[in-house]
Amino acid sequence: MKRRALAVLVAGFGALAGGVPVWAHHSFAAAYDTTNAITVHGVISQVLLRNPHSWFVIDVKDASGKVEQWSFEAGTPSGMIRNGYKKDVIKEGAEVTIKGFRARDASQNRGMLRELTTADGKTYGMFGPQEGPGK
Amino acid sequence: MKRSMLKQSLPTAAIAAALVCFTAGTARLAAQSGAAKTAPSAQVPRTADGHPDLSGVWWRGADVGGKLPGGGSITAPAGGRGATPPPTFPSLYTPAAAAKAKTLSDKDDPALGCTNTAFGTLNVSLFDVGAVGQIVQTPKFLIMLTETYNSFQIIPIDGRPRRTDIPPSNRGDGVGHWEGDTLVVDKTNFTDTSWIYAEGRVSFHSDAMHVVERYRRVDANTLEIEAIIEDPKVLTKPWAVPKQTLVLAPFDQIMELACSNETQSLMEGAAKQTANK
Repeated sequence: MKRRALAVLVAGFGALAGGVPVWAHHSFAAAYDTTNAITVHGVISQVLLRNPHSWFVIDVKDASGKVEQWSFEAGTPSGMIRNGYKKDVIKEGAEVTIKGFRARDASQNRGMLRELTTADGKTYGMFGPQEGPGK
Repeated sequence: MKRSMLKQSLPTAAIAAALVCFTAGTARLAAQSGAAKTAPSAQVPRTADGHPDLSGVWWRGADVGGKLPGGGSITAPAGGRGATPPPTFPSLYTPAAAAKAKTLSDKDDPALGCTNTAFGTLNVSLFDVGAVGQIVQTPKFLIMLTETYNSFQIIPIDGRPRRTDIPPSNRGDGVGHWEGDTLVVDKTNFTDTSWIYAEGRVSFHSDAMHVVERYRRVDANTLEIEAIIEDPKVLTKPWAVPKQTLVLAPFDQIMELACSNETQSLMEGAAKQTANK
């Protein structure tokens, strides 16, 4: 796998203050490398509003057209929904850009979601819309 | 991610069966929630038998990721502030338990595979792995429904003795009794395969764990819960859990959300990666 060809931009801009949730049922810091920030552009293939945490699964296409799937972990679904996330607001096929931190296990195409931006410019954080009632 | 990995783990039939039993309390619950929204009276709602009615959806004022009404967000309760913080569950480990803990890490937490916790988030068993729980009270039972992992506990409060003919379970078996206006719930018969999640920390426990929680509805909108946890195989002395204060949520029905074990393989992979360095 050539990561650069997959339009995955790995930018080591370091651990961001507040970028890792301080409370979760497991340690995000143990699972994700907060010194390894990534930005991925692709098309949503699945949104899993599931416990313990939700996942955004996206298909990322490289220059040759080959598709590779990436998954980004978001917040607990109840928290997202109560912060204003609507279950169908981001549908399969939607074009999105996701910023996050890459999994420590580099053999897995996974990351922790920090920000998801839709084609119309709306942004979502780990717990739903950035402008949600909980923000 | 392979889609075959996205298997759900839902005790749907059991939950549905349990909910059928709860209908007697639902009308009262809805009325209570509506009253709470419009009239934050100091009056404690009571059931026909005169006991405080603990029914309602309870939380700390926000869900995870949201903001509390007075500002700030839900965080794990700290072990305490000041010169002498109160003990936490792991701080009371026996030497053997402390040695065992050194061999474990977050990746070993069975909750990653959708196993319920024996004692839950934010220092109350009502939440399991989450920050919202629902109580439905009937004359015979106090029923606790947890949202995040869809579990239920049916606690007799009519004076009957504890059952002795059921196998141990991840959340234990409880029986309740009233001491004045305080409901005391006594839980034993735990497996040793679930973990607890309190004080922001996960920990194993043993099958000898014994949890006593005291529930007191101090006014229409406020529920206080205190607990003592004994675990002679793991702790050197009982752990006095700091008192938790919950408030009625502005909704009267929790959600049923599926659980998948996506995070488990992630944590296992991260642990292997770290071990190889």
